[in-house]
Amino acid sequence: MSMIEIKGLEKSFGDLEVLKGIDQNVEEGEVLCIVGPSGSGKSTMLRCINRLEEPTAGEIYIDGELVTDKNIDSMRTKMGMVFQSFNLFPHKSVLENLTIGPLNVKKANEAEIKEKAMKLLERVGLAAKANEYPRNLSGGQQQRVAIARALAMDPEVILFDEPTSALDPEMVGEVLDVMKDLAKEGMTMVVVTHEMGFAKEVANKVIFMDGGYIVEQGTPDAVLNHPQEARTKDFLSKVLV
Amino acid sequence: MDVYLKGFLIACKGIPTTVVVSLIAIVLGAALGLLLALCSQTKSKILQVIAKVYVDVIRGTPMLVQALIMAYGVPWLLQSWGSAFKWDNLGGLVVPAVIVCGCNSAAYMSEVIRSGIQAIDKGQMEAARSLGMTHGMAMRLIIIPQAVRVILPAFANEFVTLIKETSVLGYVGVVEILRRGQLWNSSSFETFPAYIGVALAYMILTIPLSKIINGYERKVARRESAA
Amino acid sequence: MKKKALVVLLAMAMVFTFVLSACGGGGSEDDTLTVVTEATFPPFESTDEESGEIVGFDPEMMAAIAEDQGLKLEWVNMEFDSLIPALQSDQGDIICAGMNKLAGDRAQKVDFGDTYFESDLMLLVPIDSDLTGIDSVKSDMKLASQIGTTGGDKVQEMQEAGQIAEGIVLNQWTDCYLQMQNGEVQGVIVDKPVGEAYLNSHSDTAKFVGESFGDHEEFAFAVQKGNTELLEKLNTGLANIKENGKYQELVDKWFS
Repeated sequence: MSMIEIKGLEKSFGDLEVLKGIDQNVEEGEVLCIVGPSGSGKSTMLRCINRLEEPTAGEIYIDGELVTDKNIDSMRTKMGMVFQSFNLFPHKSVLENLTIGPLNVKKANEAEIKEKAMKLLERVGLAAKANEYPRNLSGGQQQRVAIARALAMDPEVILFDEPTSALDPEMVGEVLDVMKDLAKEGMTMVVVTHEMGFAKEVANKVIFMDGGYIVEQGTPDAVLNHPQEARTKDFLSKVLV
Repeated sequence: MDVYLKGFLIACKGIPTTVVVSLIAIVLGAALGLLLALCSQTKSKILQVIAKVYVDVIRGTPMLVQALIMAYGVPWLLQSWGSAFKWDNLGGLVVPAVIVCGCNSAAYMSEVIRSGIQAIDKGQMEAARSLGMTHGMAMRLIIIPQAVRVILPAFANEFVTLIKETSVLGYVGVVEILRRGQLWNSSSFETFPAYIGVALAYMILTIPLSKIINGYERKVARRESAA
Repeated sequence: MKKKALVVLLAMAMVFTFVLSACGGGGSEDDTLTVVTEATFPPFESTDEESGEIVGFDPEMMAAIAEDQGLKLEWVNMEFDSLIPALQSDQGDIICAGMNKLAGDRAQKVDFGDTYFESDLMLLVPIDSDLTGIDSVKSDMKLASQIGTTGGDKVQEMQEAGQIAEGIVLNQWTDCYLQMQNGEVQGVIVDKPVGEAYLNSHSDTAKFVGESFGDHEEFAFAVQKGNTELLEKLNTGLANIKENGKYQELVDKWFS
């Protein structure tokens, strides 16, 4: 059984068809990278998985269970999400950003939650910033906190929506390093990214999307070094300059 | 000059009533305003319409007329339907006065709160929901606490406005600042000292409050620019 | 900074007062006299529902006096509280509004004419009330009256003296009656002729109880301080219509 099964996924915004039929599985421990030009539907696909966008048609299964409006809140606790613009809660301290989810959604023991949150901050190298507010952190630090926040819920998979696109270039590395460590530890990850180097190094599978379809998929080497489709070649020639 | 001082002191006797009515009304207005703002944000068409009609009716009629209807008309109507209702059983005419001020304020507060909620980046709601929070939980823990900071100055301005608007309550028998002055004027005919006194009594409430708001806004502006 | 603002404000206030009093000496060039009143005091004066005209005992009496003395009158309706300030600021020549010349220090602000009507206060209560007069009112009760009337002063005095729980002073008699019928107050302290006019149409729901009380009231018209020429004309006119029977005719018409 796959961890995520996507079947016949379609999504339209009004008359605009963004996803035109996506079928895709993600296996446990797999790192799936989604690449493609902007407007290709890759972020929309990711957001449909945890229903931040309501699919127009198609089904999503997590651990074999169909995701519906009714069970979405409990399904989301299995899927962490990391956003392009971090979306940390500005009125909460760094530590509180990590604990507010588990405290209110899982209602577990407060001391344990705090202890675990501190361990996660250590893991992303920000234990010293636990009592700071997000506005006092750099972009790279904020995104590392956002990853720790997602991990605090003990998710089975983490969805990354262009996690480094809003960062200054010198901060991209520190975020990618945290993500590489996660991958090594066997975390299941779905990553929408423009970082081809990261995809080549870390991904088990790469999908190239364009015009609402999956155009080509395979190992990083197959898709990124030896693309078969003309549109993939065209795209890669532009980003790899 | 003595007569001006007397007018001021007489008007000041109305300050406790004005302050108490305004305070209860602003709390009532904020609570009801939040409820209306949430109604107007829900997917339910019925709740949206209720909130919209409420705001239109309140904003479309003078508070004085609302006060007269509430204080005089409502007991009359209920009694004509056979009820034994009277405001005196609930604590007197100050009760409909507070209700009217609160309901009036709620219509304005709901707009303020709604714009405050809309000013919060939608990524905040998405981040909260992606942690498995329900919509209500996300509103309570993430959106509303942030919206409160945005709307605090507008909220305080509404309080200043409300303090001044309570002056219409003299018409329904509540002896607040203006009514103190009017009653004194009606027996002494010291018209000008009476109303100057009334104006000064309002000013000692509203001007310090406005200064506090300005101070807060400056502080926030400094903090934002420092961040 | 604050102190300075206060001084400026008070200075402005004084300048304004000075300008007002400086203007007070003048008058309209026109020989039409402006009579100011508050037309919510039937049967002395009220506004006719259909025509919007001010009708009642006062307008007809003044019309008779004006005819006798060859004066031209124009009526202006305003709040009762504004009547004396209106004369003081020269926006009116005569007050005729069922005004009691004995109340407060009114006589220091304007000159009153001869008394044309004497009245006393009465306690008006709902028809099923157990009250028997002003002395039977209990300290937990509430009474209402109109602002600027002797009744209004009386209910405030009674509240301060602890004789009643609250004296509610409203802007209009109609509000007082409604509050009584709604049960918010136990009674209304009202001028006898005013209450009688209400009872004419509401004797099935309300009644007077006990004897008249409070300060004796004398209704008179008033003119600006020192305008003795006009006051003498009005007094002469009043004496004349009392003599020729016109006055009694109006009393019969409005107070029976």
